[in-house]
Order: sequence, then structure tokens, then C-alpha cells
Amino acid sequence: MEQSGYLILETGDVFVGRWLGGTDRAGEIVFNTSHSGYEEMATDPSYFSQILITTASMQGNYGESDDFWESQQIYINGFVCLEMQNSSRDGSWKDKLVGCGVPVLDQVDTRRLVTRLRERGTVWGALVQAVSESTARAKAGTLIGQAKNLDPDWAHLVSSKEPQEIRGDVNDGPRVAVIDFGCKKNILRELKQRTSQVRVFPCRTSAQEIRRWNPDGILLSNGPGNPADVKIAVETVRDLLGWRFIFGICMGHQILSLALGATTYKLKFGHRGSNHPIRDDVLKSVYVTSQNHGYAVEAKSLPSGVKVTHVNLNDNTISGIQFEAKKCLSVQFHPESHPGPHDAVGLFDYFVKQLL
Amino acid sequence: MGKREDLRKIVLLGSGPIVIGQACEFDYSGTQACKALMKEGYEVVLINSNPATIMTDPELATRVYIEPLKLPFVKKVLERERPDALIPTLGGQTALNLALELNEAGILKELGIELLGARVDTIKAAEDRERFRDILDSIGAKYPKSEMVRTFEQGLQVAETIGFPLILRPNYTLGGGGGGVAFSLEEYKGKIATALHESPTSEVLVEESIMGWKEFELEVMRDKAGTFVVICSIENIDPCGVHTGDSITVAPQQTLTDRQYQAMRDEAKKIIESVGVETGGANIQFAVHPQTGERLVIEMNPRVSRSSALASKATGFPIAKIAALLAVGYRLDEIRNDITGTTPSCYEPALDYVVTKIPRFAFEKFAGSKDVLTTQMKSVGEVMGIGRTFKESLQKAVCSLEAQPEGFPVVTCTHDLVTYPNSNRLFHLYQAFRDGLSVEEANHLTQITPWFLEQIKELADFEKVLSRESLTTELIRKAKRLGFADAAIAKWSNRPVEDVRSSRWKAGIVPCYFQVDTCAAEFASSTPYFYSTYWSHPEPRTPHKETVALLGSGPNRIGQGIEFDYSCVRSVRQFQRMGQRVVMINSNPETVSTDYDTSDELYFEPLTEEHVLEVLRYVEPKGVICQLGGQTPINLAPSIVANGFAIIGSSLEAIDLAEDRGRFAQVCKELQFKIPESGMAADLSEARTIAARVGFPLICRPSYVLGGRRMEIIETEDELTSYFERHGAIFTKKVPCLMDQFLDRALEVDVDLVRGSDWSLIGGIIEHIEAAGVHSGDSMGVLPPQRLKPETSERIEALSLSLADRLGIVGFLNLQLAVKDDEIFMLEANPRSSRSVPFIAKASAIPLVDLGVMAMLGWNRARVRPERFKWSEVDKVSVKGVVFPFKKFPEADSILGPEMKSTGESMGRGDDYSEALLKALFSSQMTFPSHGEVFLSLRSKDKSELAPVMRDLVEMGYTLSATSGTAQFISQLGLPVTEVKKVQEGRPHCVDRIRSGQVAVVINTTSGRQSIETSFGIRRSCIDYSVPCITESDAAKAFLLALKKHLTGNFEVACLPATKLFD
Repeated sequence: MEQSGYLILETGDVFVGRWLGGTDRAGEIVFNTSHSGYEEMATDPSYFSQILITTASMQGNYGESDDFWESQQIYINGFVCLEMQNSSRDGSWKDKLVGCGVPVLDQVDTRRLVTRLRERGTVWGALVQAVSESTARAKAGTLIGQAKNLDPDWAHLVSSKEPQEIRGDVNDGPRVAVIDFGCKKNILRELKQRTSQVRVFPCRTSAQEIRRWNPDGILLSNGPGNPADVKIAVETVRDLLGWRFIFGICMGHQILSLALGATTYKLKFGHRGSNHPIRDDVLKSVYVTSQNHGYAVEAKSLPSGVKVTHVNLNDNTISGIQFEAKKCLSVQFHPESHPGPHDAVGLFDYFVKQLL
Repeated sequence: MGKREDLRKIVLLGSGPIVIGQACEFDYSGTQACKALMKEGYEVVLINSNPATIMTDPELATRVYIEPLKLPFVKKVLERERPDALIPTLGGQTALNLALELNEAGILKELGIELLGARVDTIKAAEDRERFRDILDSIGAKYPKSEMVRTFEQGLQVAETIGFPLILRPNYTLGGGGGGVAFSLEEYKGKIATALHESPTSEVLVEESIMGWKEFELEVMRDKAGTFVVICSIENIDPCGVHTGDSITVAPQQTLTDRQYQAMRDEAKKIIESVGVETGGANIQFAVHPQTGERLVIEMNPRVSRSSALASKATGFPIAKIAALLAVGYRLDEIRNDITGTTPSCYEPALDYVVTKIPRFAFEKFAGSKDVLTTQMKSVGEVMGIGRTFKESLQKAVCSLEAQPEGFPVVTCTHDLVTYPNSNRLFHLYQAFRDGLSVEEANHLTQITPWFLEQIKELADFEKVLSRESLTTELIRKAKRLGFADAAIAKWSNRPVEDVRSSRWKAGIVPCYFQVDTCAAEFASSTPYFYSTYWSHPEPRTPHKETVALLGSGPNRIGQGIEFDYSCVRSVRQFQRMGQRVVMINSNPETVSTDYDTSDELYFEPLTEEHVLEVLRYVEPKGVICQLGGQTPINLAPSIVANGFAIIGSSLEAIDLAEDRGRFAQVCKELQFKIPESGMAADLSEARTIAARVGFPLICRPSYVLGGRRMEIIETEDELTSYFERHGAIFTKKVPCLMDQFLDRALEVDVDLVRGSDWSLIGGIIEHIEAAGVHSGDSMGVLPPQRLKPETSERIEALSLSLADRLGIVGFLNLQLAVKDDEIFMLEANPRSSRSVPFIAKASAIPLVDLGVMAMLGWNRARVRPERFKWSEVDKVSVKGVVFPFKKFPEADSILGPEMKSTGESMGRGDDYSEALLKALFSSQMTFPSHGEVFLSLRSKDKSELAPVMRDLVEMGYTLSATSGTAQFISQLGLPVTEVKKVQEGRPHCVDRIRSGQVAVVINTTSGRQSIETSFGIRRSCIDYSVPCITESDAAKAFLLALKKHLTGNFEVACLPATKLFD
């Protein structure tokens, strides 16, 4: 017998679907418009504690494989779609999620849900299995309350606890320090191909410690949550400004901006997808990028000297900045893709070139 | 940067008549481009020889030239117009090839015309196999290995290097003759020998087989700044081995991982950069190995294509329009996304639904042709179904095909029809699942990706649930979400369909109409392009008072094609000018009518009773227009009325009076019109009785058909018996065989007219060039008539108008009449716009569709002033030419008969008949050899009629050859002739002579089943070797007239006059 599950939004909206397993959980409700890459998304630490809605209606089509994981674990707090493939061919994505305790709800009117999120902005919600809507609501209320009580420094929760070293493929290449706010594997893969050594530092590492390792350049990784809640990193980065070239991605971009004295704000419903057009004044082109962020840098808050080098052409929000005097560049989108197009991968080459 | 200000006048090349592989998708792309460029303020000059298109409507461009897409004619237009630039990328391969020719002839340079959208070397790089492969090598892309084999020994070596299975493609054999697949060395040895022999140049391309690989297509765009976007990824359900045009395809791609997909995207980007596509659209096809994931490039097209039309409809992204804007200098980031209205065009559409395209075939039209799908495209049309899930979209697409509006039919499944690709494979596969086939077995038989098989099997399995469980609200909802039509639910749950529908309505299970918005709802969008789904609840809607719903014509098929789209689209503008909001319903992704900015609201839905009624219930129009989309909407009219909606224009009663043969005959009798003697037979014995009364020759056909399916001329008792042996099974008392007296040698005419409340107007009379016996869709025609006496013409007009009055027509009426010995016979009345309307409107310069709309909306004579338009006062002669797909059907006979076989039409306009004929024939791919041998094989009754033709040919310097009887006749005329053996008389015979290239033109007339069969080889070899072959005596006379005109070398070109209703 099929079981009903509920997606209860904080605003009171209720979406019913087919409960495919997992345990009741709460989180921020976000949607991604990519056609493929469900595993990459679910294992991206930037999705920490969020409930992911895929707008593409058919999910799980090509099974599952650890090769596509962007970290060691599934970070999402729930997976919602219109239709989850019900087959164990090539491994079952549904079973994988459920096996990890992640609640999965399909047969949900996701288009209406997305429209709601688009109109009202990102909200919190919970995925619960219940016999009735009223019990679902009660359960959801508690879960949402608990989820909101979590330490807001999400980057700290997902960041590596110990430094980790990776040998690069280029013997005479530069050495790069990565500050890990929830770094995707593919950032490290891209760096590995272009460097001699990569060292991943936990997000609360001091500037002193990084200076001690004496890298040629520093990469600030992606990560979840509100950049304003990330502790220590802003001071660390401020200290390192101008010392070595710094390249920031997503959360890294926001941390760099904060370190430069700018402010960030929460977007109404974020940018999550593989089709966001960007104008890039560094590589001098317009291309399509992979994005996943809920916050953005306030244009007016940028100190003078900082150039806006990347613009999201859908809504003209800042997608990247450069401060030549302080030798830094950062982008709000994901040049490492996974999922999404590789059009911006040239930024890694640009970064490495600054280190020689 | 913006658009280029140095350009003022731009020429756009169309793609010519509809042929298989190049159809009305280019009407769509050309129309979009025209509209976009006109809006940008350019002068747009359009050249296209296809009268059936909306693109060649004089309202669409600054000037429209309906002229052959051939060098001499296009050159003349260019000399007259002196444009700044020419866009060759929107008219298919025809336009690209023509651009190359214009370049090679130095015409572009001489006239200072710039090519926009594609450079000559880009076109060549994509077309030239060797150059394209060099480019692929340079970027590290792989492709199927192949080599050109010239000797048997070399062939053996090549086989060793490439490995089996191998595909053999002999060069320059048509219809794929002599080719095939070899799975072993043994088989290969035999096949390569034959293939080398069959190729006139002794060249055989031996290619690595990629049969069974997954096939994908990316529709991409690039601007001059290098911005690259994938508009749509398309996945073929049919694995490699079936032409993508014949494959069932799905968008977006469903079964590639993100990594596989992105790698493919990267490669596509490199390819179009390396090939040198500076701006515009292109498509690239890939094969992916189902297990290893290895990827090969199959081909690329540096232009918009059939797939880009599909991609535009699937995503909402108007590829052709954007391509035109890029060509005049814009960048993608400078062009706004029309659909959202707020975001730029340099993005990739995100879909929150699934689209399935299913091709529509016409094998039944080509007796003897094998229903086997290969890499040679054979489909004549396609439908698209949009649903939230693949299953919903697949079922909607199946319903859209119209042959089975209830969904997957029950068939007797044989594994052969599952294994080997054919037009009904999907149905056999589905049936096999019903019969218990497993996904693994199905994958083994078909190599179709298991994901699709699982999806299809789920549907088949659910039928069992419907049969087993009681039909609760929940079960109905589930079934609807899986895309089952009410009729299918009724069938499997064993309930009357009316019950199912009323319970469904009672339970509030009705479709929701979601938007195709290019962005998966991420941004608000106001574009009214909708599809139905049962995965949500409908939103309330405020009905607009002045809304009319317009039903399109569904998939293109032989007999109902793009002509009806012309009527629909042209009418939309008139309805709008008259203050109406137009809601369009159609399921054909190739058309202009399904462009989101053609109507006020577009519902991309199957044209079935259920789907149409749901839209009508939602939209609540004040009326429904059923007379513009051909027979499809006419057939729906009764149920539309029965469900409480009004139809605008002719009433049900008028429609029935025209369509019901018994009632129509009664009306004719009442008005004292002659009609051919006729009868209706349910079986052979009844047929014999009727034959005895009516007499031979007879025309036999099933009742209620379009395009003359199974229609044959029967000359003897034996043939009648044979006809019933072949088709008798379909006839019953309810669906009888219609038997009509055949008016041998009669002159046929088509009349299209419009009737309003107190006025009516003849749009024109087309005189058929061939005598009675050739389907009106297949016969050439001329306006104004050349042989009809003026007084007969006037009588026809009067008769037609009085018939329209008697039937009570409001709007369009199409009539087919025959004239024999000055007597006029009424053959058929169609209470709707017809195939000939666009031709007539363009030939007579009368805005016929607009007038039809005025009639339907009740405008009276004083307002319409129909007396302004007189078709007979037109100063140009227009000839309608026809185009046939015989090359694609290697087993089919090219003889013309009462069953329609043509896919498209051309139009030639001239100052006199011969000039118009010449152009029409040119556009229909006729060639005019200036010297050589004319081979004749004629039936007795044509011989003396064609004596003047023979004399003229000899006088013009052609030599004659003929089979014995004809040769004897020619000798008696005192003309030199070479006698050639018939096929059954031993070799070398006439077919050998044609195949060996000794014959320049063939005139072969024949009748009677036996003679038609024995002379088949003559006509077939002409098709295979591209020798002009004329199969009818009046056509032969017309050909001679055109040939004479051609030899003079004198012709002019002229643009269409505007056909404005109001100044």
C-alpha cells in the first residue's frame, strides 16, 4: 500500500505526496532546475540541512553510483520530486537516500510548490509521514523548531576537522591552500590537475596557520548557510588579503566580500540550477553556469576599488568581484560545476596563472 | 553592439515544396525569422516555391517571390532586388545548397551580397565528410570508423581493421540499393561484391555499425561573441539504426548522467566552434554505447532543422527567431527571452515536464513498400505530447497520432515487429508487455534503454489494475496521471466511456493547464503556451467574452498537411483584427500554428474528443472553429456540439448535408446537378450488382476517407474481384465500399468559395492538368483554367454558389467537379477550407481566408464588399506542381491514381501558361534535358492523342525509342524510332536502357492492374536514376510545353501582389 507523506511549509502550505521512506526531517526548502545531477546535488555540502526539490520531473533515472558524490555523505535533509524512478537497475537512488535516512517524497505538485517559493521566498518546512494532515502539521512544527535551533555556523558543521593534504598532478605547479567551508570534491579535482600540492584547512583555521604552510595561493571553498554566521573565517581572510592571491567560490566569494568590508543579504529564493547566464569581464565572455546559493553580496556595500567582474544576467545580481590591489577574485557560481556546464572552468586556469 | 545598421534589405531563402525530411518545420523557422527581421525594421525579401506555407503569404515579408529555388530564378530575383545580405540557414538543406551554388557561380560576389548566419567554408566543413572528420580528429572527438572501399581485396582489409558488424553503403545508389549490414566475414564477402557492383562508381562506404547504441541530439546556439547554449537535449527511444526523424524522441534527455551529458555538451561546443558556426543554431547527433558510455559523433547540421523546430516547441525557446537576430548582429545576451519577458536569451531552458515526439508514417499509401525503418527517413509528419511525466507525455503523443485516439491499441504482437524497427513497433512492444514480456527480454530484443522500457511496461501493467480493481476516484486519478484517455480507462475497466467521463468530472478530476515557460517556473512568465496535466489542480480562469477556439489539423500526413496550417494561421490574424481572442489547439510541433506567438493562447494538445473538450470546458469560448484545420476538426464537430459548445460557421446540418453521400446526392438531384452514377456495396456480390448498373470503369473506395486511401479505378470484373480480395475485409454495411462511375478523360476542377450571410465569393477555379483519375492532390493544376470554355467556367461558378446556398454553408466550401463533353458533374463537396485554399489565395490575389473569417463572424455584404475581388481578373497564370516521395520507398510505384501520394506542392507563376508550367515543374524537381532519347510506352488510347507530342520532340532534335506497339505507331507517323524490348521480352530491355543512362525522358502511360504491374520496372528505374518520367498523357503535353519554354531561356520573376482587405 502506498503511503502518503507531507511537505509542510512554515507558511502553512501543505503539499501531499507519496512517502517513499526515510525519517521525518525539517529544513530550508530550496529548488534546483538542473535536468540531471541529483547525486551531485544531494552530496554537495552546500545543501546541508536543506530539503531539495528538483523541478525536473523524472528523478533517479540512471540509478546511483558513488563516483558522482561530491563529498562523503548525503547532506540534504529531504528529496522531493514529481516522479522517482522505481527500479533497482543500476542501483536505486531512492533506496540510497532512504538507506541514509533521508526522507523522499514524490508525486508532489512540484511546479505549484516552486511557484509558491518563487512568490513568497525561501521558507522552512518539514517532510513528515503521518496519518493525517493535522498530525503532520504538529510533527512539522516541532521539527522546524529544532532545525532552526541548530548552530547557524553551518560551514563549521560540514567543514573538515583536520587539515588534509592532496598531491597535485603538476610537479612544478603551485601549492594551494583551501579553506573548507564545505568544499565539493570537484573543486579539489580541478585544483589537483593544476597544482603540485593542495592542503585543505578547516574553516576556522587562523591566518597564521595558513601563512605557516606558505601556499602560493588560497582558495575559499563553497559551503552552506548564511555567510554572516560563519565565524573566524572573515578575520582570517582579511588578514591574508594582499599576501597571496585569493580565489573564492560561492560561500568563499561571500566570505571574501565580507572580509573586504561588503555586506551580504538573503535572496528571495536563491539561485539553484545549471542554466544561469553570467557576464564575465575577466575571461571576457558570456556563459552558462552552475549555481547554488541563497545569499548574495550587496552591490552598494562594495568598497571602492573592488570591481564587479561577474554579473548574473537573469537578475543583474553580483556574481563575481575582483580587487586587483589585494590580489583577489571570487565568483558566486560554481566553475567546478558538478552538476552543470563546464564553461567557467577557465577560472581555475586564471587562478593558477596568478600564482606563477 | 546591437543589430547591424549597415544592412537594409535581406533575402531569406525558403526550403521549397514539402518532402520527406524537409517539411513544414521550415515554414515555421522561416516565418519566425521573417517576423523578427521585419520587426527590426529590415526590408525582407522572401524566395520560396511552396504556396502552401504561411511564410509565402504576402503579408509576412516586404516582398514575397514564389519562384523556383534554382539558380537562374534566384539570380534574377537577386538582380532585381539587390539586397545587402542573404540568410541561407533557415530553409533547410535546399537553402544551404543554393547558397553554395550562388557563391560558386560568383553571383553573391558580383552583386555584393553578404551571406549571414553561415560562411561558405562552414557549410562545406559540415557537409564534407573528410573535412568534418579532420575537425573531429583535431578536437579529439570520436566518430564511427569507416572507409571508402573500391576493390574486393581492399574491402577485406577494411573489414579486418574496423571489425563486425559492418554497414555497407554503396555510393550513388538511390534508395540505399545494394547496401546492408554484414555480421560475419562470410556474409560480408557476398555483400561487398554486390555492393561494389551496384555502385555506378564502384565505391562502397564500409562503416562501423553503431546499431543499438543510444542516440542523442543537442540543439545548440552560438553568437558571434562565442556564447554557447544548449537549447534542448533530445534522446531517441529508438537506438541508432533508425533515422532520427523516424525515431520516437524525448526531451530533455532522460538517461545520461550529468557527467555524460556535460561531456557531450563540451564536445558540441568544440565542434561548432571548430566547424566555424559563427552565429545561429546547429544540431549535433551523438551515439552513446549503452554499457561503456563511449561517445561518437554521428553528424552535425550548421543550420536550423526539423529537430530545432521540435526543440523550440519543446522548450519555448524560439531558435529560428533568435538565429535570425544573431545573424543581423545581436548577441544572445542582448536578446530578451520572449517567454519570461525579463531574462536574456543566453541561458539554457529548464524543463519541468517531458516531451515525446512520435513520427507519423504513410506506408499504406505506397503499395509494396516495406514497413521497415532504417537510416533513410520515411515519416511524413509528427506529433508531440507534453506531460509532466514521460508516461503522460507518451500517452498524449500516441493519442495525438489520431489513428488511435484512445491510446495504445490492442494488436496481435509478433516478436519480429518488436525486434525490427517499423512504424508500429511501439504498439507491438506495448502489446508484448501486456502479453508478459519482461524488461530484460525487451531490452535484448530492441536494445531500447531499459529506463524507457520500464516506463512503458508500467503503463501496460496498470491496464491490469484497471481491469482488476473497482474504478474508484483514486484509481481514475491515477490512470489520468499516467496519461490514460477516458476511452482506455473505459475499455480496461469495462465501463462505458460516458460513465468514466461523468464520474471523473463529478470527482473534479480535470486537467490543469501548465505553462511552457523555459525556466521550470523559476521566473514568472506571461506567455500563454499551455499543456494539460493531471498532476495538479486547475486554477480558476476568467473567461473572455470574445474568445474563439480554433482547431488545427494535427500531424502532417499525405492528404492533410501544411495547407491547413496556412488557413489556421492566416485566420488567426483576421479574427484578431476583428476583435476576437483566438485559442489555438494543435499537436503538430512542426507548424506555425503551434508557435507561441501566433495565437492569443496556445494549447498543445491532442486533437481528440476528450482533450479538445477539456480545453473547451476550461477556456469557455463563445464558439469553436472547425472548418480550417481540415478533416480532423470537422470530424470532431458533432461531439463538440453534443457537449454544448457552439461551432462558428457552417452548422452541423450543413456539414452533414455535404458529407453524407446519400443526402448530398439528394441535394444535387434537387438542384438538377449531374453526379456520377454510384452505389454502396458491403461485399463483392453487392458490388457486382452495382457494377452491372453503373458500368465500368468505376472508382471504388471506402466511405469517409481523406486523401483517397484504398481508392482504385476498376476497369473490369476481374479487377473488381481483386479489389474485394484485397480490401473486402474492411467493408461492412456500416462502412461500405463506395462505387462511382468513373468519368474517363474528363477534365476535373477544384473550386474554393466563401459564403456569408448575404454574399458569396468564388476564390478561384483550378483546372487539373491531368485528366480524371488522378487524385486532386496529386494532379497538377492551373489557375485560371486554360482549356475550360468561359461559359462552362461561368456555369461552374453559378452551380457552386447555388450549392453553397442550398447546403447553408457559412464560411468555406471546397468542391470538386468534372467536365465531360461540356457536361458538369459534381463529384465532392467539403464543407471546410481545403488543400487548395493557399494556392488559390496566392494565385488569384484574394485574401480568401480573411473573407472566410468575415463570413463566419457574420459580416454582411455591405461591410465585406466582396465584389472587390474577381479571381478571373488575375493577370498571372499560376500552376500548381506536385512533389512525390517515391525515392524514399524503393518498392513503390510512381504511377498516379486516385490514391494521393504526394507530400508537397510547388507553385509556378508566369505571364503565360508555359512559363508558369516551367517554373512549377522546375520546383517539383523536374529536369529538362536539352537533347537525348525520349522513351515512350503508351496504352492504346493515348497514342494518337500524343502524336503531336512525338512530332514536336523529333522536330526539337530528340530521338525516340519505344516498346513494340508504340514504336509501330510512331513509325506509321513517319517518325524515326528505335524499338526496345519490354521487360518480359528478354534482355536488353527498356529498363536496362534506362538504367544504363541511355534515356533522357520517359513517357509511360498505362492502366489496368496487370499492365501497371508489368510496366512497374520502367517507372521505378526512372525514380532510381532520376530520369523524368511522365505517366499521363495530358501531363506529357504540359511537359512538352514547359520543355519548349525552357529551351527559349526566356522567363521573368515577379513578387506576389499584396492581398489587403482594408487600406
